[in-house]
Amino acid sequence: MSVAELKERHVAATATVNSLRERLKEKRRLLLDTDVATYARNHGKTAITFCPTDLVCCRTLQGHTGKVYSLDWTQERNRIVSASQDGRFIVWNALTSQKTHATKLPCAYVMTCAFSPNGQSVACGGLDSACSIFNLNSPVDRDENIPASRILTGHKGYVSCCQYVPDQESRLVTSSGDQTCGLWDVTTGQRISVFGGEFPSGHTSDVLSVSVNTSNTNMFVSGSCDATARLWDIRIASRAVRTYYGHAGDVNTVKFFPDGQRFGSGSDDGTCRLFDMRTGHQLQTYGQQHGENEDIPSVKSIAFSMSGRLLFAGYSNGDCHVWDTLMAEVVLNLGSLHNSHEGTISCLGLSSDGSALCTGSYDKKLKIWAFGGHREVI
Amino acid sequence: MNTVVAVDYAFAVEYTGPPIPYEIPQAIPIEIERIPVATVAAAASLPDHLLLPVVQPLPSPDPLKKPPPPPSEHAVSSPTSVIENHIAPDGELSGEVESSGAVVFCSELKGSPDSADGKHERISMESALSYDFGFRSSASVENEFADDDDDDEDDDGVFTSPVRRGGVSFRDSAESSGAASSGVGVEYQVRDEEYDRTVKKGACYRCLKGTRFTEKEACLVCDVKYCSSCVLRAMGSMPEGRKCVSCIGSPIDESKRERLGKSSRMLKRLLSSLEVEQVMKAEKYCEANQLRPEDICVNGKPLTQEEVVLLQRCPCPPLKLKPGYYWYDKVSGFWGKVRFFLFEDVFYSIFSKSLVGHKPDKIISPNLNVGGSIMCNASNGNTGVLINGREITKVELQMLKWAGVQCAGNPHFWVNADGTYQEEGQKNIKGQIWGRTRTKLFCSFLSLPVPSKAVNACGEEVNVMLNRAVHDYIEQRTTQRLLLFGNHGSGSSILFKQAKFLYKSVPFSEDEIENIKLMIQTNIYSYLGILLEAREFFEAEHLVQKRNSLFYDSSSSSELVMNEHATVMPYSISPRLKAFSDSVLEAIASGNLEAIFPASTREHAPLIEELWNDSAIQATYSRKTEIQVLSSVACYFLDQVVEISRVDYEPSKLDILYAERMTSTNGLASMDFLFPQYEFERNDLSEQDSLLRYQLIRLHTQGLGENLKWLDIFEDAQLGIFCIAASDYDEFYENANGEIVNRMMESKKHFEGIVSHPACQKLDFLLILNKFDLLEQKVEKSPLTVCDWFDNFNPVISLHRPNKQSRSAQNCATLAQTAFHYIAVKFKRLFYSLTGNKLFVTMANVLDSDSADAALRYARDILRWKEERPAPNDEMCSTDHSSYSH
Repeated sequence: MSVAELKERHVAATATVNSLRERLKEKRRLLLDTDVATYARNHGKTAITFCPTDLVCCRTLQGHTGKVYSLDWTQERNRIVSASQDGRFIVWNALTSQKTHATKLPCAYVMTCAFSPNGQSVACGGLDSACSIFNLNSPVDRDENIPASRILTGHKGYVSCCQYVPDQESRLVTSSGDQTCGLWDVTTGQRISVFGGEFPSGHTSDVLSVSVNTSNTNMFVSGSCDATARLWDIRIASRAVRTYYGHAGDVNTVKFFPDGQRFGSGSDDGTCRLFDMRTGHQLQTYGQQHGENEDIPSVKSIAFSMSGRLLFAGYSNGDCHVWDTLMAEVVLNLGSLHNSHEGTISCLGLSSDGSALCTGSYDKKLKIWAFGGHREVI
Repeated sequence: MNTVVAVDYAFAVEYTGPPIPYEIPQAIPIEIERIPVATVAAAASLPDHLLLPVVQPLPSPDPLKKPPPPPSEHAVSSPTSVIENHIAPDGELSGEVESSGAVVFCSELKGSPDSADGKHERISMESALSYDFGFRSSASVENEFADDDDDDEDDDGVFTSPVRRGGVSFRDSAESSGAASSGVGVEYQVRDEEYDRTVKKGACYRCLKGTRFTEKEACLVCDVKYCSSCVLRAMGSMPEGRKCVSCIGSPIDESKRERLGKSSRMLKRLLSSLEVEQVMKAEKYCEANQLRPEDICVNGKPLTQEEVVLLQRCPCPPLKLKPGYYWYDKVSGFWGKVRFFLFEDVFYSIFSKSLVGHKPDKIISPNLNVGGSIMCNASNGNTGVLINGREITKVELQMLKWAGVQCAGNPHFWVNADGTYQEEGQKNIKGQIWGRTRTKLFCSFLSLPVPSKAVNACGEEVNVMLNRAVHDYIEQRTTQRLLLFGNHGSGSSILFKQAKFLYKSVPFSEDEIENIKLMIQTNIYSYLGILLEAREFFEAEHLVQKRNSLFYDSSSSSELVMNEHATVMPYSISPRLKAFSDSVLEAIASGNLEAIFPASTREHAPLIEELWNDSAIQATYSRKTEIQVLSSVACYFLDQVVEISRVDYEPSKLDILYAERMTSTNGLASMDFLFPQYEFERNDLSEQDSLLRYQLIRLHTQGLGENLKWLDIFEDAQLGIFCIAASDYDEFYENANGEIVNRMMESKKHFEGIVSHPACQKLDFLLILNKFDLLEQKVEKSPLTVCDWFDNFNPVISLHRPNKQSRSAQNCATLAQTAFHYIAVKFKRLFYSLTGNKLFVTMANVLDSDSADAALRYARDILRWKEERPAPNDEMCSTDHSSYSH
């Protein structure tokens, strides 16, 4: 078979795939006769009402000297790790708002940090294309920094996000600018599997975010600059279980819904979306109308409340909207409250019991928001 | 404290406008003892002259009780809240948690604002004349109002008893309720005199409880003291140590400097040891708490930030540096404080003559470049004897005499750091001051300093100290970031490595060298692979040729078969080597070369040697010009393949420079450095410039993704350096889609992408056209117009008409120089069309260390010009060859 013939076939195959994809999209559109908000409205549901004092900033964590890029809570709900462009990660006691550890990283350009399930070690990744693991109990060195106990190398691009598999102490999932995700064994430092890359069903651009399903820890979802999110099975590295289309811009963040059957995503197109994991349908879009010439703020980070009724979304313009996931309405904007952040909200996370929300911003601060009054945690 | 308040919070401006027709409401001065007290059903007794609406207090069972007992009901907020669990013990706050049926008094209490103006000391209320009080239940309201006996209804603006301050902050409703429900985050800005008066002496400033014997923590800035239950709320997360939230960022009270970093027992009790450690670290090292450099004068000249760093980081620093005036003898390292003579000093000096003058306090590291030069009267001596140009004090003279130095006739001495001294104008060293042990004894007797052991370090060591990392907290500000972009093969990694060789005393650590060695050894296999593949190709080609020739030559096919076996094939190798070659090729094909080969270098080394010496390989290598993919770098390494494949191979400097890729991960690499000073530069550079730290960050365009998602991280960088190989114009490669792409066009695409990225808008760019030597070699043979972008390049070599593009160089410029200018202008125009700014271009050949150095120094010059430039768009003249204007 000659090269020309092969090329011809390739072109034909690509065209077929594209037409099939179009048909699939059309079919989906026909099948999807409603979305969550319409359905809920038809059933007489109303949006949650929030008065501005129901969610209040009760702690301000100051101490970073650069933009905060990432944060994570421990599972025992009182500690936070945050990573900033000042090249250090800080472990905070959320109760006293004091630092317990502050360590300079080997590479200052950090993009992500994560606590291990037992809260004893921290993983940080960034532009050095490596993920460094720090054991918080290890003795500090001469400059009072914690030395990295292990450095996971193997990615060929920046490490954009990392998360431990919740029920496995030594497993870490990373996403990278080399269009792949990786599963690592932290104790040995070996990469167990690579998701994407040369496999045809992988992401076709930088992967920006991962989220591991908490109810079925074999599944994780990744969001990428190719405007898709993909679902992966940790046991099957060869192909993505499903690909979710819908966003019109880079998918900056993905997060599993608390029940593990859905996941949310946030994108540069200014919207958050809710996808059903099993059917592959997009259930709901959470976005606001913007004027023609307005700059659409991109969604930087999202988090669901314990019940999933609320979706917290941090935007590049410093807003932090609280969406009612059922009604697709913004019920509160933390950015409009008095002592809110002054810069892009780059990361946010809920404590494991859902009682407090922590936001990190380019204004170098982290703030902890908690439900005030007798409001129930939802 | 009053002065602080007046400066920071003064907002009343004297009215200078036309007279106003109406009567100005006036605040009536009140005597504190005669403040009308709100009592139950006593509203009618309010004085008539009060202009303000007064909220009638609600009946309370025990109105006169004071202070109120802390409401005992607990927080009704979410029981699982992290926050609530924490503050639950603090009973006095929880009573004010908002419940949904809130009674809200919104600014009803607002009266005529001028009344607050009149009350001079209220200014610290930070213009909070209209705040909202979110009172929860009527019960709590009645409680609070009833207890307002020490407040006056008149100045409604601060219509709160101090007790209520604990729960309600004076911000707005959002925050106040935030503070109420959680009790944290209340930002305290209230500190007025009257308030102070109401605070019992020794009580906590926040909850107003406690006596002078209760343990308290004081703010380092304003000295406000808080008790243990309030300190965490008042000081927040303490990013700069023990300061009230409102004091963060302000310089500390100098009298408290000695307390920096020394934890109190209370803090240790409140926080875990790890937390205390972090707070103390922050307190000690954060920028706001450092000595302000302008407060320290050395030899009459205020210091700069860098000089202070230098002073504190030297091996033998002055102890307990405080703001003040000092003198410093750079040659000998003598350091003294200039004391101003107050009355008592003069009085004292009458009795003790020897105390006249500022004798040295300490001998610090010599040769530090801080402050001005020493004056003759620096230490205010009156003895006539000069040491290093300073007239010494009587005490010192006494010491010299005891040390056995001849001091008759007011000699002028030069004393070196090691204590040797010589007389001015004479060469021979006369002696050692510290030579005799009893000198030191005398010194301690006269309370004069003696040199510590470390002081004997020589001048060079100071520079080493300079290279040492300054503390991170200071480092941030003084570093200028240079971003180095470049495609594969553009030489950006070579430039980076050159910078390491140029500016670092230890360019590469052992680990790094080990990594580079591994990388070279891995690469050599891939080069060999190319060679082996080429061999197979040549072999096949040779076979075909041979067959063809035989086909024409002979008629019998049997003869051909025989012949084939008999003739020595120039490109065939032995089966053993063939097996090895196959395994190498297989590993390359499967892409796991890195995993297999370097690990087994020991076994393969002899094989490689054998393979290399094989005639077939040599024959293939001799035809290297025919192998397209074999780069010049590959040839460089292949020439020494036998050495490289050995286990004990150590890469030379050139090997390191040539090694492709910096790291195996395509990650970013960064290095901090200082430009070492050249002799000829000393004059035109100020001290400060020479101490500027630079951080060179190399970003791999391929490794960091196409969409430049990460670029906003570098928003605060100062300069982008873009490396492009000038010789790329006639080189092509096949991209992932199978299209043949010109490398120069590819570089141009990357350049456009980066330059037009929003994060790079404020960045100046320097384009380094690298590999100028290669351009020189090939431009004669292969015209620049090979690249589509350069199609209108018409150099004026043969024709003698003036050419616009090469006007500056038309007489003497070679074709390569003309080509360089042409490319430079092309890029400048492109840059201008994209950003509207000026692009700086320079040529370089970064394999040559001088050229790399020149390029980086040019980058520094751009940064310096940038500071001097008034407007970003200003066209500026530069003397450099690259300031070729468009």
